Amino acid sequence: MKGNEASDRPDVSGPDKGKTLSRREFMTTVGGVGVGAVLGGMFVNSVLLPDKVFAIPASGGYLLVDTKKCAGCTSCMMACSLTHHGETNMALSRIQITQNPWGKFPDDIEISQCRQCPYPACVAACPTGAMHADEKTGVRTVDEAKCIGCERCVNACPFTPSRALWNFEDKHAQKCDLCENAKYWDQVGGPEGKRACEEVCPMGAIQFTKVLPEQSETGYEKNMRTGTVWDKLGFEGAPQSGGHLG
Amino acid sequence: MSGNLLFDSATWVIWLAPFAGILAAGVTKRQDPRIEGDRVLRHDTAAIVEHWTHGLATAVLLASGIALGVLFVPALVAGGGPVWIAMNIHFFAVVVFLFGTFYYGANSLLAIKRLKEHLPTSDAVEYTKRHYGLLLGFKKFTMPPERKYFESEKMAYLMAAATTIAIIVTGLLKVLAHSIGVPAGMMSIVTPAHDVATVVMFAFILPHIFFAAILPSSWPIFRSMFTGHVSLDYAKHEHAGWLAALAQADDQTDEQTVAPKRVA
Repeated sequence: MKGNEASDRPDVSGPDKGKTLSRREFMTTVGGVGVGAVLGGMFVNSVLLPDKVFAIPASGGYLLVDTKKCAGCTSCMMACSLTHHGETNMALSRIQITQNPWGKFPDDIEISQCRQCPYPACVAACPTGAMHADEKTGVRTVDEAKCIGCERCVNACPFTPSRALWNFEDKHAQKCDLCENAKYWDQVGGPEGKRACEEVCPMGAIQFTKVLPEQSETGYEKNMRTGTVWDKLGFEGAPQSGGHLG
Repeated sequence: MSGNLLFDSATWVIWLAPFAGILAAGVTKRQDPRIEGDRVLRHDTAAIVEHWTHGLATAVLLASGIALGVLFVPALVAGGGPVWIAMNIHFFAVVVFLFGTFYYGANSLLAIKRLKEHLPTSDAVEYTKRHYGLLLGFKKFTMPPERKYFESEKMAYLMAAATTIAIIVTGLLKVLAHSIGVPAGMMSIVTPAHDVATVVMFAFILPHIFFAAILPSSWPIFRSMFTGHVSLDYAKHEHAGWLAALAQADDQTDEQTVAPKRVA
């Protein structure tokens, strides 16, 4: 081998002899310091620093539903899609109505709305902070630009169907934001404004509350019939069997 | 259930890889090309490591990245497990890619002449015309005295280098989003830019594979990416300019030293 290392050696015969750093020495130093810094930082972060605390504020509001009032018209789904995406596409709706044609009342219809969980598994699962609680309102929502499409939130949601949904058109996660960012709606949304699904429901089966509802396996089910004409029709309580006519 | 994303749980490995590449370059002793009897040393071990770590990782990154598909290609994997598998494959390829690319970059900075070998000269257009004219069977052209790399390769190198830089910068910003809150406005630029760079890289790598590995006339050079050597005859025919420079360098060295003329 001939003179291969000569090109990166400085002339050290001058007055700075002993002080100059060759290009190779500089490169080795940069690499060594960098490796040391990364490994050292990882050690400090994992061993010396305490574990991070995951704490986020409660949501500023919650959607309540009464499936016994729901007629399954899906107006809420189309309103949700229309106000958020400018088109009536049920697959883009953040609230989902599922119907079982063989089911009996009241199990033939289910309204799947996001519960704005006190401990949101979707937020905890997001690796980039795209799924987050809004600083002002606490509403669990998605910063679409930060979403990397890993769909961990979709799988992390403890409910079926998942309340964190995959927007197959724009390729990002999305979920109910209580219409906080309903850009195709000329109304103010969010906890202090209106919710499109609540506004359009002809049966009054969707309500909004700022009080944290009691969590249950079936969701934030609420009897919205008491004190209405439904009482007279005998629908105050849930029929045990026998279809819509009880 | 929630899968394990290495981009999230082992982010530090990503930041380690570039420095490991730089450190490795700092302790690597390179060998210059030289004539060895009836063959010519074209690539030393470091060059072979640079090429294959960068190249193979790029191929895996393209495959896993395109499978994930975000804006410009449809995703081939659905939610949950398949996405996480593809992302974790992407992670391993990123680590190798960063190591190989920074190893190459640091090596180039240590010997600028190696970088210059890849840059087009004023002969670029004329030589490229003659080179491809011969490949396509136009007899009126004569083989230009190409240097170590064909002028056409040098022009492609510029595009590959620019694309690689774009992919690394945007990719590291995407990785940074796993550790700190990168502004959404920036991410809305970074993600499409990463995707565009991916498409450009894909458009580059397909012709590169064809012209450097599939085309029979490229097989000697393809073989040299494993062995490091090409035959003297091949070098005389395809890279006359390079061989002349090597011979000239040999002669100059011989005049300055009393070492044996050539390594046999």
